[in-house]
Amino acid sequence: MRYILILLISATFFGAAYAQKKVVNSEKKMLVISKGTYKPFFVTKSNKPIPVKAFRMDETAVTNSEFLEFVKANPEWRKSKVNRLFADTNYLRHWENDLSIGKSNQNIYHSPVVNVSWFAVQSYCKWKNKRLPSIAEWEIAGKGAPKNIKYSSLTDYILNWYKRPNLPVLPNVKSTYQNIYGLYDMHGLIWEWTSNFNSYITSTDSRGNNSDDQKLFCAAGSLNVVDKSDYAGYLRFSYRGSLKGNYCIANLGFRCVKNIN
Amino acid sequence: MRLSILLILITSMLFSCTNINPSNNAEDVTNLTPEKAPITSCCKPTEKVSLTNIPSESIFMLDDTFKTQHNTDFQLSTLKGKPTVIGMIFTNCTYACPRLTSDIKNISKNMGIRKDKVNFVLISFDTERDNPKQLKKFANEMGLDSEWVLLHGTEETVRTLSVMLNVQFEKDADGNFSHSNLVSVLDKNGVLKYQKEGLEAEHKETNSTLLKLIL
Repeated sequence: MRYILILLISATFFGAAYAQKKVVNSEKKMLVISKGTYKPFFVTKSNKPIPVKAFRMDETAVTNSEFLEFVKANPEWRKSKVNRLFADTNYLRHWENDLSIGKSNQNIYHSPVVNVSWFAVQSYCKWKNKRLPSIAEWEIAGKGAPKNIKYSSLTDYILNWYKRPNLPVLPNVKSTYQNIYGLYDMHGLIWEWTSNFNSYITSTDSRGNNSDDQKLFCAAGSLNVVDKSDYAGYLRFSYRGSLKGNYCIANLGFRCVKNIN
Repeated sequence: MRLSILLILITSMLFSCTNINPSNNAEDVTNLTPEKAPITSCCKPTEKVSLTNIPSESIFMLDDTFKTQHNTDFQLSTLKGKPTVIGMIFTNCTYACPRLTSDIKNISKNMGIRKDKVNFVLISFDTERDNPKQLKKFANEMGLDSEWVLLHGTEETVRTLSVMLNVQFEKDADGNFSHSNLVSVLDKNGVLKYQKEGLEAEHKETNSTLLKLIL
């Protein structure tokens, strides 16, 4: 009798443990990006290649459905309540209302969420016990070679994407290519936020003003660019430089990363 | 009997497993976050500072705790009541930062007797090396009077503040920082009113803005 009772109790716990496991399984898949070195796009005497530790990265960008869970749990991030300091008026503008993406928008439930500000996505990653990738981390992950598409060079592939106008309906995640790390859509679907998008790539003893932009983008100054054929990287660099923390843009989403302990 | 002990062990192991594996950390966070709470870079609820009557676009909404050069806790909302001049610096900086600090010193000097109606704040990018002790040393070297507040924060807090103030910065491989040189002026409620980029910039307008904000 006692054995049966104990067996029953342990079965219950097995059940509970199984349920737990299911919860864990429903979490977004993360993939390991091995350690590497990021060469800053613009070389000066002080910005040497940055060593990057191995980390885990979300398999895909965060989707509208996933972001809805966050908004439900964090009322201050609802469309009608959000502080303009932290998100401009385009915040989630493609959603029907505060707590609904919209029945007529079912085709974007699993598309990357866009129209989200840096403050909002930073808060999302934190809520998931994750964080935003740095530029160095994102660029290393983004360099991973595609494994399921035909392409002559990744740069050509990306430039081809940049050339096309935004599609009226953003496709689902996993609709472009998967790279050698197993990550989907690093290029070809959306642009992604990074933690230090507001970094300043120039020498420490800069005189400020805008002369550094000139150095970078004009004439002889652009000779300092590491890989002049990496026009796609150049575009990402200038795109990030044009952002502000509360900007919400129709082709800008995000994915999170986590340290490996 | 041995079997039952084994089973109890197994069940207790499972039990402890479920305990150490909270299904949803997120829930804990949400329960802690009251509605309309100011958004912090660390999702913590605020208790200490009352943010009533502060406009939502105020930088005081960042309610993270900094450390001053006197090693005391400091929240930006403490600056409420006076307009504030803010610069972001790091003290190992050999060229630009002392000059940005000198620029702000000049702004202070040009305020004349009214300088005590303005807060002067420097915040360090260098979360590792610029501890309160180092900040105090820098304040002494630069001859900053006791009204100046020099702040040390976590990497995340400083990054968040830099985004709010549109200051660009990056840590270089040698541990120094590349950054834009920006002087920001906040009104009495922490709302950003004026910014001037550059070193040895013309700060006439900075001073006239401050004079208006004092009233």
